[in-house]
Order: sequence, then C-alpha cells, then structure tokens
Amino acid sequence: MPRRVEIAVIGAGVAGLCTALFLARAGREVLVIERGAAWGESSGANAGTLSLQIKRNEVLQVSRRAIELWRDFQEIDGIEVGFEQIGGLRVATSEREVAMLRRSQGEQAALGVETEWLDGNRLRDMAPWLGPDVRAATFCGWDSMSVPLTGGPGLARAVERAGAVLLADSNVVSIRQDGGRFRIGAGGNSIEAERLVIAAGAWTGQVCAMLGVDLPVAADVNMLTITEPAPHLIDRVITHIGGILSLKQYPNGTCLIGGGWQGRGELAAGTRETEHVSLMHNLRVAMQVVPDLAKLRMVRSWAGYEGVAADALPLFGALPGVAGAYVNACARGGYHQGPALGEEMARLMLEGRTGLDMRAFDPRRFA
Amino acid sequence: MKTCDLAIVGAGPAGLAAATEAAELGLDVVVVDENARPGGQYFRHPPAGFRPVGETPWEKDIRRGQSLFAVLGHPRVTYLPDAVVWDMPEPSVLAVAAGPRSGRVQARAVILAPGAQDRPVPFPGWTLPGVISAGGVQNLLKGQRIVPGTRAVVAGNGPLLLLVGANLVRAGVKVAAIIEAAPIWRRLPAELVRLVAAPPILAQALRYRAILAHAGVPILAGWTAVEASGSQAVDQAIIAPIDETGVVDRARRRRIDCDLLVTGFGISPAVELPRLLGARLRYDALRGGWTVERSADFETSVANLFVAGDGAAIGGVELALAEGHLAAQAVARRLGRLHAGEGSTWEARWTRLDRFRRGLESLYRPPRSYRALITPETIVCRCEDVTRAEIERRRGEGAASAVQLKAATRMTMGRCQGRNCLPTLATLLADWAGTEASAIAMPRPRPPIRPIPIGDLAVEDLPPPDLPADPHLPRGRR
Repeated sequence: MPRRVEIAVIGAGVAGLCTALFLARAGREVLVIERGAAWGESSGANAGTLSLQIKRNEVLQVSRRAIELWRDFQEIDGIEVGFEQIGGLRVATSEREVAMLRRSQGEQAALGVETEWLDGNRLRDMAPWLGPDVRAATFCGWDSMSVPLTGGPGLARAVERAGAVLLADSNVVSIRQDGGRFRIGAGGNSIEAERLVIAAGAWTGQVCAMLGVDLPVAADVNMLTITEPAPHLIDRVITHIGGILSLKQYPNGTCLIGGGWQGRGELAAGTRETEHVSLMHNLRVAMQVVPDLAKLRMVRSWAGYEGVAADALPLFGALPGVAGAYVNACARGGYHQGPALGEEMARLMLEGRTGLDMRAFDPRRFA
Repeated sequence: MKTCDLAIVGAGPAGLAAATEAAELGLDVVVVDENARPGGQYFRHPPAGFRPVGETPWEKDIRRGQSLFAVLGHPRVTYLPDAVVWDMPEPSVLAVAAGPRSGRVQARAVILAPGAQDRPVPFPGWTLPGVISAGGVQNLLKGQRIVPGTRAVVAGNGPLLLLVGANLVRAGVKVAAIIEAAPIWRRLPAELVRLVAAPPILAQALRYRAILAHAGVPILAGWTAVEASGSQAVDQAIIAPIDETGVVDRARRRRIDCDLLVTGFGISPAVELPRLLGARLRYDALRGGWTVERSADFETSVANLFVAGDGAAIGGVELALAEGHLAAQAVARRLGRLHAGEGSTWEARWTRLDRFRRGLESLYRPPRSYRALITPETIVCRCEDVTRAEIERRRGEGAASAVQLKAATRMTMGRCQGRNCLPTLATLLADWAGTEASAIAMPRPRPPIRPIPIGDLAVEDLPPPDLPADPHLPRGRR
C-alpha cells in the first residue's frame, strides 16, 4: 500500500525543510523525502555566510527577507542556528576591484540596500586587522553569520514539531504522474502525493528528468577550511568583491575560510575532494586580507557540492509542463536564501502568488 | 617543485634504515620528518645542550641511533626536520609545511614510515592531570629527562608496559604495579617456541622483567585500570579483573595510590596518508587496528607508494629497521638500480622477526573490547569534551552514522583531528550495530593531515590563479 500524503517535498536541505516548515505551519500534510540524512549535503557543508551585499541584484530582496527569517529561527523559534548579525565588510584589493565595488554599491542603493563606503583611516578604525592590500570596503549592517552544523538538526526537529514527517535514507528513483497524483518510488517506499516540490539541490536536474523536464544544473565543488580556536581577531563577516573569499570567526574562536574555490569531484560518482593548489590560493587570499591568519593553524578542510543553474539564479516556481509539481533549488548562495525561498514557495502553493517578485527565477526561462 | 628519486616520510627506525639503504644504492633521497631531531619515538634523545648527569639506561639505544643518523649527512640525502607532510595531492607528491622551507616534493617513489600513535582507550578520569600515555611518558623520559611523577601505576596492554615500568624504576620512580589486560602468564608456555626466534629481544624483555622484580613491582595479568580518581589530579588508580571477552569484574576492584597513571593500551599505525591516497587497508586487532595492505615488497595498493615499519602494522623497532632496508631495496629495483636477487640479507632476518612478532602478539592478544570501561559520564572526545552519554543522546535523536554524530556533537573536530576519539566512536557504533569496528564507515580523511600554520601555504612559488570573470556564475569542475 502506498503511503498517501498531500504534499511530498524531495530533499531535506535548507530549501526543502523550510518549504516543509511553512507548509506544515499552514496546516498542510507534508512528507519530506531525503536520499541520505537531513542536512547531510550542501546545507551542512557550506560556510554559513549570510551576507546581503555579495548577492546578485536579482536576489537582494529574497536575501534580505531570509536574514529576517534566520533571526526569527534563532530568537523566536529557539532553533540553534548560531545566527549573529555582526555586519559585514566586502573588500577590494586593486583599483579595478575598487571600481567594481563602487558600481555594485550604487546598484544596491538603487534597490534599497544601503551600504557604507570605507577606506583610509575610517576603514582601519573599524577593522585594524585588515591587511595593507585592502584598499576599500563597503559595510553592510544586514550581513550575518550562522553555524550550518548545528542549524540542521534544530530545523529538522522544528519541521517535525510543525507536523511534517521526515523520511530519510530514501533515494527517489522514480516519479510517475498518474490520475492527478504523483507516485514516487524512494528507497523501497512507495508514496502517493497530490503535489510535489523538488528541492534536491545539486540533484535537482536528475529528479526533474524523472518527470521529463530538462533543467541546466551544474554541481560546483566548493572548498572550506577551518582553523584551530584562536584569540578574538575578526569581528565582522568578510567577503570579497571578486567573490573569492568568505571569512568569519565563530564565538568558539575558530575561523572559517571559503570563497567558492573549486575542489575536485563528480556528483554522479559521489566524489568531492579538496584541490591542493586552489586551496593554497584560497588561503593566500585570506592572508592577504587578514595577515594575522598566517599565524593560525588550519585544522580541517573539506569540499561540498553546490547545485547551480546555468545563470546562477534560483530555480523557483511551477515545473513547466507538469501540473502540481514545483521546483525550489539551486540558488547561488542558496543556504542563505533558503528560509525566504521556503516561505515564498509555501505562499505560491497555498495562495497561488508570491509576496516578493520571483518572476526572474521561473524555471520556464530554460524551457 | 623539488624532485628526487625517493621521498621518505619519517626519520624513525624504518625511515632511517630506508634512507641508508637507498643512499648506498645511489638514489637521491629526501627525508621529511615532523620532529626537530631524528630518531622517531624509539631513538628519541634530548635536544643539543642537554647535559645528562651520569649514564642513562638508554645510552646504548642513543649510540645505536647516532650511527643511523649519519645517513642524514650523506651527499645524496636531503633532510627536512620540523617538517609536516600535510597533503599528498598525488601519490608521488608530498606537500610539506616547514616554515620558510615549505613546498611540494615530487618523487619517483615514496616510502611512508610515519610510525604509530597511542591507541586511545577512554575510562572515567582518563583526562585528569597525572594520567599520561605510555608514549608520552617515554617522550618525557627520553626526550626531556623529565620524571612526571613519584609513585606510578602502569596500566594497559602490551610489551611496552614492561619497558615503561623498567624505565620509570631506573629513573627513580616507585612503580606500585604493572596492570596488564592480557593473561600473559597463562599463555606464555605455549608462545615460548615462537618467542625464541629473536633471542636478543627476548633477553631484553627478561632484563626489564628482572629490573621490575628487583624493585618489587608486581605484574597483575588479566587486570585493567577502570578509573582514575582524584579531584585536581589523579591520586588513585582503580583496577579490576578483565576477561578475554572484555567483561570487567568490578566487584573485585582494588584501589592503588599513585600520582602518575601511565596508560598504554597498545599503539596504532598512523595510516592517515595511505587512507588519504585511497590505499587498501585491513583491520587487524593484533597489529593496532587499521593496518596497510602491502605486497611482499611493502608496496601498497597504490603504485610506487611503500610503507615500512609500525606505520603499516605494529611490529616494533627491529622489524621496522628490516622493513626500511627491504622497502628501499624494492624501490631501487623498481628504478633499475638493483637487480633482482641482490641485496636480500634482510629477508631472512625479517622472517625470523615476524615469527617472533606472531608469538608476542598472540601472548598479548587484548580483550575483545574495552567498551565496559566507557561509562556514560566518560569523556570520549577530549578536545570538545563529549561524553558517551552525550553521544547516546544525539544517537537517540537520530544521528546514526559517524559523520552525523560528528556533526551533532562536534566530536573529532578538535585539534587532534579525531585521533583520540575516532577509534572509540568506531567501537561504540560497532557495538550498537552488533558488528565489528572494522565494518564501521569512518569520515574521509582530508588535508591537512596534521594542523599546520596557514602561513606555510604562502611560501611556494605558484602561477597566478585562474579567477572567474563573473563570481556569481558556476565555477565549473576542474
């Protein structure tokens, strides 16, 4: 006997869990189907950076709303996501980058996101630990950080408390649409759902293909490095206009260093390894921006997948040509945006329209 | 990138023997060692400038070591002390962190001789000051001439306990007892036939035994430490009988006053680099847990990657020396510097020593598990202070695998990179799954293999990186 539910969500990363959370809170019957463990891939392996000012202009509104929701998770819902709104500095280290930063600041202001321009003494006063190569930075008070490692279990429990059910270790191998219902084969289970949300991150392309929809999704392999606990050094979220650095120090003293430097790996083979030379470049950029990092010891590095659409915008909306199916995945910086994308997906499914303008993310752009 | 015929990781007995053999056979050799001074654990000696008062018991070892160190001055040998191999991006490339000397070394063949590390066995109180591992005590005595206590209990499993006990006696410490988990007296008669295969080692063991007997140190076989008690530091060791299946008879427990509890539950091969490179491993409880699968030439399943000595499977110093020579000969044959059949005087020696090892490991075969020692309040991960109860609570909440428990508790994420808790986690997971520790999937090792200063990554000359034109677009796979 197949298990019958109203809504099935495929994927228990940040996008799937947040979608399920808002649907369940609205009283809907939701089953989240996960190939491995909840929060077991990108959502647990990313840098936890919640920086508004590094986002593409198209996702600024979604990303701002997401920061409010991350704060609510921590402060209202009591979910330990390690949220800290400490503000962020986006740095530039060459004349060319200074010009890029100026341009970006202007574009963001026009979209209602104000940042503060800092250079010279004002920059050193705020951040005396920045290296001499940093020529300018913009400060954004929205920028925050979180701890991906602890957020997942808390969010999964909140989803269950809201009434949704999590089905882990259940890899979706088949989806058929039959008499207005979806029949899903997943890890030996047979599930029937009226509506379906595909929130499968890097695996979204594979799952959509089961319904005959071809979406251009690539899997980046992002590397991260963490240091030993160190005395208090960095009190802002650091990002880079070139997109090549993310850096923050957690309350326990460890510094987390990323920046989208690519490791090696293949989604199909399940491999994701660090790449020696790129890792060295990543840490050199970090030392250029904060020279005191050179004295700290690195303890671990790792690599995680990030599903990205060809234009690096979210895949959000009704799946073209498949009534009742939706996709919510592959936003560049999707961990950050997850809560707002989940909220909007629930709104779209329940009310037929979104609160924010989500038209640019419609998967029909690839149809 | 520096290049050579043979790169050797480790300047302990196996690494030094390999370097000696390889240099004699005309190979260009690079030896990378973590320590400031050569010799590894066995030939550890005080820093230059230390002037020991009088003859110390291991003077003979030091002199033997000195003759091995000579190879490091050989014109074909480059020696990098204070240097950590933190990554091997390919089986033929070592990434070395060594301050201003940091960078990569490319070799035609690699011999790993990283030695072993203490096998962690947690029990209540094992993190108290005054509880020190056998390896740690040996380092203090041999490397620093520091005597870390006045009244000691030496507990655990294996022949190292006799050696540490005898060294402590010779350093003037009152050793209250040696607590050996294996019932060695009962097993000894059956193993004698193999133990006589290496008369010098056997004679040495008898000498240690005589020193202990002369000092009136009792050896309790079939007993284990079950707790270290004390508020600020250890003041009592609590011991109890343990049987071969690991069942502890707490009703018969005894207390022994001490200010030093030395724990030595055996040592495990340092298999991080072979694991990183995907070399095939094999679980062997008698040889320290995870060991490296090797051919008769000590080559791993990865071509041109060899492992010699305790870093592959625990066998002790004499076997490590033999394996160092034999592995270097195999490399020389591979590189065309030695013909088949030449230079095999070490083979017969290895065979004899291996026979001795089999006798010794059978004599000291440990209890099937020490899990009875891990009470709920026992700290399992000492970097992050995670107790067994906390691990079980997280497991109850759904964290089932090693990777999930790691994420939920932060265990394995500290400075020791899991060396002190992963083996215990494997034991617990095996226990819950009703299987053996060998069947438990462990988190993938990743660089750095040891914590290293980030500044060391800024030394090597690199071509500029290929940066994305648009940082937002997919970066693409390499």
